[in-house]
Amino acid sequence: MELFEVDMAQAGEITPLDYTRYDFKNPETYRLRIPKGLSRDVVTQISKFKDEPTWMLEYRLRAYDHFVERPMPDWGPDLGDIDFDSYTYYANPLLEGETKRKWEDLPDDIKNTFEKLGIPKAEREYFGGVGAQYDSGTVYHKIREDLVKKGVVFCDTDTAVKEHPDIVRKYFGKIVPYNDNKFSALNSAVWSGGSFVYVPPGVDAGIPLQAYFRINAKNVGQFERTLIIADQGAKVHYIEGCGPAGEEILVGDRVTPIEQIAVGQRVLNSDGVETTVEKTMVRRYDGDLVGVHPASPGNAFQLTPEHPVLCIPRRKVSKGQYGFQSYDILDHERIQTITPEFVPAGELHPGDFLVYPINKTTRDDSSFTDATMVVLGYYLAEGCVQLINECKAVTFTFHIDETEYVEELSKAITELTGKVPWKNPQPERHAVTVGVYSEALYERCLEHAGKYAEAKALSKAVMDLPPAKQRSLLRCYYNGDGNVSQMHGTVLRVMTVSRQLAFQVQELQARQGFFATIRIREPFEETMKDGRRISHRRMYTIYHRPNRHVRTVIRRGDSFLVPIREMSWTPYHGDVYNFHVAGENNTYLVKGFSVHNCTAPIYSTDSLHAAVVEVVAEPHAKVRYTTVQNWSKNVYNLVTKRAVAYEDALVEWVDGNMGSKVTMKYPSVYLRGRRARADILSVAFASQGQIIDSGAKAVHSAPDTSSKIISKSIAIRGGQTSYRGLLHVAPGATGVKAAVRCDALLPDESGRSDTYPYNEIHEEDATITHEAVVGKIGEEQIFYLMSRGLSESDAIHLILMGFLAEFSKELPVDYALELNRLIQLEMAGAVG
Amino acid sequence: MTEPSAPKQHSLVVEDFHAEVAGKEILRGVNLTLKSGELTALMGPNGSGKSTLAYALMGHPKYKVTRGRALLDGQDLLALSVDKRARAGLFLGFQYPQEISGLSLSKFLWTSYMQSHTAETADTAAYDRELQTHLGFLGMDSALLKRSLNEGFSGGEKKRVEVLQMATLHPIFAILDEPDSGLDIDAVRAVGETVAKLHRPDAGILLITHYQRILKYVKPDRVHVMVDGVIARSGGRELAEELEAKGYDFVRPAQATA
Repeated sequence: MELFEVDMAQAGEITPLDYTRYDFKNPETYRLRIPKGLSRDVVTQISKFKDEPTWMLEYRLRAYDHFVERPMPDWGPDLGDIDFDSYTYYANPLLEGETKRKWEDLPDDIKNTFEKLGIPKAEREYFGGVGAQYDSGTVYHKIREDLVKKGVVFCDTDTAVKEHPDIVRKYFGKIVPYNDNKFSALNSAVWSGGSFVYVPPGVDAGIPLQAYFRINAKNVGQFERTLIIADQGAKVHYIEGCGPAGEEILVGDRVTPIEQIAVGQRVLNSDGVETTVEKTMVRRYDGDLVGVHPASPGNAFQLTPEHPVLCIPRRKVSKGQYGFQSYDILDHERIQTITPEFVPAGELHPGDFLVYPINKTTRDDSSFTDATMVVLGYYLAEGCVQLINECKAVTFTFHIDETEYVEELSKAITELTGKVPWKNPQPERHAVTVGVYSEALYERCLEHAGKYAEAKALSKAVMDLPPAKQRSLLRCYYNGDGNVSQMHGTVLRVMTVSRQLAFQVQELQARQGFFATIRIREPFEETMKDGRRISHRRMYTIYHRPNRHVRTVIRRGDSFLVPIREMSWTPYHGDVYNFHVAGENNTYLVKGFSVHNCTAPIYSTDSLHAAVVEVVAEPHAKVRYTTVQNWSKNVYNLVTKRAVAYEDALVEWVDGNMGSKVTMKYPSVYLRGRRARADILSVAFASQGQIIDSGAKAVHSAPDTSSKIISKSIAIRGGQTSYRGLLHVAPGATGVKAAVRCDALLPDESGRSDTYPYNEIHEEDATITHEAVVGKIGEEQIFYLMSRGLSESDAIHLILMGFLAEFSKELPVDYALELNRLIQLEMAGAVG
Repeated sequence: MTEPSAPKQHSLVVEDFHAEVAGKEILRGVNLTLKSGELTALMGPNGSGKSTLAYALMGHPKYKVTRGRALLDGQDLLALSVDKRARAGLFLGFQYPQEISGLSLSKFLWTSYMQSHTAETADTAAYDRELQTHLGFLGMDSALLKRSLNEGFSGGEKKRVEVLQMATLHPIFAILDEPDSGLDIDAVRAVGETVAKLHRPDAGILLITHYQRILKYVKPDRVHVMVDGVIARSGGRELAEELEAKGYDFVRPAQATA
């Protein structure tokens, strides 16, 4: 049987399909979408959507047949996990030909996504033309009028097939034939979107043209096709940005929606021990989801019925009738000795005990003194970081009667900063403000406790401190924000609008030996009080009893057993997520409770980006192609980029690869005319879970041609980079000059870097130089920078940015800043 | 904004300071007090421990302090990380400065400067003016600012860049480790005269040198001679001249009887 059967009735559906209700992550509203899987029919359907001429359909089908026959590459990174039938090959948020020329016309969600990437701001300020592609669809394309008048063409390739058939037919597939490699064949079969650029003879396009590419949905492949032709003496600079908006960069200490879990991330298992996510999976699911509502309502979660959940079934430990409402008699001795078991979520009952493990991770850090914890505790409750007269300050607002807390805080601030904080009484507000100018304290509060009420959250460093230290923080936080209720004994409670903080406080209380329950009050509309507008945001209340546990929750070793109050069933159609974690204990926590990796059939959540880029530089033309690739870390990025340079032409590839799971990309230049030049600058930055196999090819087939290849790579936190290069000098190509330089940097020595240079030199007079250096960041360099007052992570960051300076100075400023920010983020995880 | 307006007296007190490198004890009980307003020269033969003292005070990870204290205005330097020592006001001018590819000298200087300033306290105009003045003093081409830090710099350029950093950072105590070694006569003079000019009443300088020739320009208030990891002899400027005339051998017996 076929691995996947295309439902042509559905595939051919031109009426709008609304997928939003099926997805709970990003809205995926596609006007056109072909169900996942690949076949001749899918290829035909794509061509039909696009209303293509026959020659293109025939080309696609030839390419498809070659793709099927062609084996996977037997070299380079392992691509064995790619399951071609798990991808959607065509998903377009617009109808074909509906590409917008006005930014305002775009649907809001798409507009928002791209605005996070800096368009249309970039367009107004800098670029001569901008294109944007969202999965398969080119949603936006615009070029400046002055360039149009000069005869410059900049449109999506689908449009070019219709409007410039002669040029497209002349060049399409001539630089990169479909049978060049398996992925060029795949692209040639299913391509959609991409840019087409034509610059007429002698015209200098001047300001760069820019395109953004974004894969939104998981398992959607993006296969854009770009063709750039610079006619005789023409000049053009094309820039492409690939990648997610910032929100997908993940941090290990956050309560993260499960669908955002990435490979390599640290999660807790059922023993309360940190482990690493090895693989993430998603599958389509059609059926009921089981809702498990424990005694702490805020910890409710949903799973598929077959998903195993760690529990102690109540019937096994009850001496009498069981059920949450009736107080049955429990066999407490048995509760302490029985081994919890995995029960499919669909078979759980109210009253069964879920296992809430106490996080055992403890990493002390002597830079957190008791005074630090006091300040952070009050900061969570009452604090605010702000710039006052452009000077960094931390301020706290207390009730005027809270003199004791004000004193404790002031003392701690003085101990930390050596400064006496100011105190401004504001009797009319019954408040007193405490504040101090201190850059160090400002940075520390920001780093370890966040900013603004909704975003307050503790850093991983604080969460991992010994529980004894954390006690002061909790005490001061409760001093500020907590209150005591005397219903059925003393209950301490604290309220926050930060979801993150609510779950962190629950975790911290667990480490103190208390199970705290979380209740959620849904937001409601604004009300007026004392003439002021009050908005009611979603509010989390955390309760615990300092004297005894909530009656129904039982401490068992390093866990709490929390009874299920209620079960619910909800119909669902959409993606469900799951992941494998390292170690034998293949478990993880959902809202604090232990579940097992689900054994249901799975698909990888990977996405596939297989682009083909063809560049033609006619005699005396100059083309620069800049790429900044920051795909999210589940994308296979397998791209074929090739240029042909004729007499006296210059082609420059500036190619930066920071994102993706696996990248294989070797921009190449075929130097076919006398004195043609190639300049290739390729940069790779690989962190945890990433393999970037990149490089360059220069094929000299004419005399007096020259090429310069510079490859820079950084591999940290176990990332891998490889340089794979080819230098070919054909017989008859005399007087060739070629220089290759490969610099690799391994800052923490956990990364890996390999170099595979291939030289095929058939003319003796060729001047070839090759340098390869693998370095690490020297202790002496770090010491030197630190002796000037820079922190260790700042020192490393400066050294890394210096290493990449040759690349970053070639980028537009927004991209250079983004690169800077990205490396800073990666280093923040690697150091300290 | 909490900066006091009147110049303050500072002190760097080194007491019974012992340090080892790779398990080998180099410093065997150094006692030294630096005061602001004073220019102190530390002389001594090769291998006597002068540079070790400089690195150990700055906190180089390979130099282990096994005994003793170092207090900057009463604050325990040894409890601070390298960057915090720098922010506390300590500066080390390196004998062999590191090269950092891609990091321009101007960016490095500004980043270092901003470690002890906020957006409010930083005075860009004054910074630029001062930088140009010091470049002039040191006879340096401002084109150097655009180049990668120390990369491909001549020996003399590297030494001048160290002094330039001291000039822009305004440390409370600067230790200059052989700023004159490997320099020709003109360069020694430029470096020496600049150090003398930079010497302020509210800051102190400890100049480590092997030779007397730079002292002609910097004119130290105090001279200490280190031999075998201890201060073997201390005195005024005349001690340096005596050393020049008699060589280091003449201090050794003093150490032997100490």
